[in-house]
Amino acid sequence: MQKSTLIMLLLLFSTAAYYLGRTRSLRLVGGQIRNLHSLPAYYGYYVALWCGIPTLILFFLWTALEIPVVTQLVMADLPEELRSLPADRHSLLINDIKNAVSGHVAETKPELQAAVQHFIRLNSLGNWLLTGLASCVALGAAVFARSRIHKDQRARNEVEKIIRIFLVGSSLVAILTTVGIVLSVLFESIRFFELVPITQFLFGLEWSPQIAIRADQVASSGAFGAVPLFAGTLLISVIAMIVAVPIGLLSAIYLAEYASPRFRAVTKPLLEILAGIPTVVYGFFAALTVAPFIRGLGADFGLDVSSESALAAGLVMGIMIIPFVSSLSDDFINAVPQSLRDGAYALGATQSETIRKVVIPAALPGIVGGILLAASRAIGETMIVVMAAGLSANLTANPLEAVTTVTTQIVTLLVGDQEFDSPKTLAAFALGLVLFLVTLALNILALHIVRKYREQYE
Amino acid sequence: MKNPEKTETKASFAREHDMTVGEIGAANLRIQCRGINVYYGEKHAIHNVSLDIGRNEVIALIGPSGCGKSTFLRCLNRMNDTIVGCRVSGEITLDGQNIYDSNLDVVPLRAQVGMVFQKPNPFPKSIFENVAYGPRIHGLVASKAELEEIVEGSLRRAGLWDEVKDYLLHPGTGLSGGQQQRLCIARTIAVNPEVILMDEPCSALDPIATAKIEQLIDELRNHYTIAIVTHSMQQAARVSQRTAYFHLGKLIEVGDTAQIFTNPKHQLTEDYITGRFG
Repeated sequence: MQKSTLIMLLLLFSTAAYYLGRTRSLRLVGGQIRNLHSLPAYYGYYVALWCGIPTLILFFLWTALEIPVVTQLVMADLPEELRSLPADRHSLLINDIKNAVSGHVAETKPELQAAVQHFIRLNSLGNWLLTGLASCVALGAAVFARSRIHKDQRARNEVEKIIRIFLVGSSLVAILTTVGIVLSVLFESIRFFELVPITQFLFGLEWSPQIAIRADQVASSGAFGAVPLFAGTLLISVIAMIVAVPIGLLSAIYLAEYASPRFRAVTKPLLEILAGIPTVVYGFFAALTVAPFIRGLGADFGLDVSSESALAAGLVMGIMIIPFVSSLSDDFINAVPQSLRDGAYALGATQSETIRKVVIPAALPGIVGGILLAASRAIGETMIVVMAAGLSANLTANPLEAVTTVTTQIVTLLVGDQEFDSPKTLAAFALGLVLFLVTLALNILALHIVRKYREQYE
Repeated sequence: MKNPEKTETKASFAREHDMTVGEIGAANLRIQCRGINVYYGEKHAIHNVSLDIGRNEVIALIGPSGCGKSTFLRCLNRMNDTIVGCRVSGEITLDGQNIYDSNLDVVPLRAQVGMVFQKPNPFPKSIFENVAYGPRIHGLVASKAELEEIVEGSLRRAGLWDEVKDYLLHPGTGLSGGQQQRLCIARTIAVNPEVILMDEPCSALDPIATAKIEQLIDELRNHYTIAIVTHSMQQAARVSQRTAYFHLGKLIEVGDTAQIFTNPKHQLTEDYITGRFG
């Protein structure tokens, strides 16, 4: 029997168990629900969970252990000369058998024919065994749980306890994934720092990661000084913030304080659409429209603008993060209590005086938090800079030159055929680690500021 | 405009006639209100109220919740302008000037008619900056010394100076509720208004803080005209010279405070002050 069919069957069992438990509880009190501790449905869930959870655990354990066990059994039955092969040939053999079983190869080597047949037999036997065992466990557990139902039993509490465990589990998935990513990046970075000293990475002024893979290749020496990348990231982010902060903040002030409700209802979602445009679209907009425009404009003024300039990437990135600034600022300006505005108006302040001297200062911590979140977004942004900022690691503060960023370099380091233990590829992990630490620090700072602000009026 | 009488006849305690009981005029006239109607959207919140407020008097506006006394108060410095959907009709004059004149700038009006709110609302700035805010935006001061003088004078008159003089640069929001409210009063008198409106200034305060504010109101009467909305009839009796009783958006009775509390002429007033409802 197929595993998917078995899952369906188990679902059916659990549904049946639900009605079993429900009916049982109702019968126990002769239909008088108020004599039950919990509502009848909880007794149903109780039996259904008892039926479903052990069976599911069995199912997953079985599925996880089945292949290794079957493989072991098959290998044990192979002829002596195949068993005594060295380890790498041995695992190739196992692969051959598995491929033959799943039908991925046209014909099987004759000496493996028997083993393949054996594998298939064991597999189907295992499936039938699992079906039988799972059904027994499901039925047994359901009958056991049903027999435990009595009218004072706290079914609701027990069901809710299990639900709580599920909720904890779900949140753990997200947390553990993050921890896993951080750890893997961390370990690869440590490997990188064994090859390249951390001081050279953090303070070196030259970045040219192309190193020779083979001895006869011509390549640069391989310099891993990340300062030009950090500088490039900083330059582009600063340009982006110079665009996004004034535009975002001023539009937020207009929307929150001056705009009529109808205008606001139309404009705010429109502004937020900016955040929904895929960054790759911004990227080619920057590379194909903005960058040539800036170069042409520069040429008119006699300036030498490179075709991939930090300015183009920064401008477009700034447009992209406007909604982050404006939306959060708008929320925080709206959160300033009306009583403060009334207080200012009652002193004879004009609307603009009220906004400048009372509302904005009161909302400032929140606005700063929003700006920091936007900044961390800008620093981590990849697609726009990959397409528009270029690859040359110039250490420059001139926005008209091409610069490169941490994210761009990570992409170029990992794209294409690479050895995964060369300093070149490992450098990507080190860059990723630094990027992660910087954005994490910005986010924590921003959230801290925002939280402090929230407490102020509660 | 629809006739307010027709909409109210079903209420069991409808007024027998439209006239306010008692003398609406005041000696030494400062604010004159004639035929004030206020609408919040469709809701008719104030019905045809006429009332005068005189110089150097404290007038208390009392009445059950939702009777329109706060709304009426907010008409006097056009704070209702900030509420979307609020319409005011009728005529209010301050020293003979119609404050709802379309040519009138509301900003100087509000500097003349200050307001203290129910909940203390100091700005999230230092104590000094809270008081200095008004004089600054109105350009009342030429020098820092002058500003400091105004701040100290206002805090003194609000009875707060001795408590905060060493903490002027601390945030105003860090003060206790009663101190915050006196800070708001200091902030209001720093712009040297002629009239101070108080909207239940003590409702969020404990009895000791309330006593301080009441004493302050009594002292401020020498310089200002004060209109105070209160839910506490004892407070109205203690601080005011005249009292106006509002009921369901109408001004039922107005008169000397002593007379209102000892010998009310209207049945509704009597019911309210004797605690039969409200």
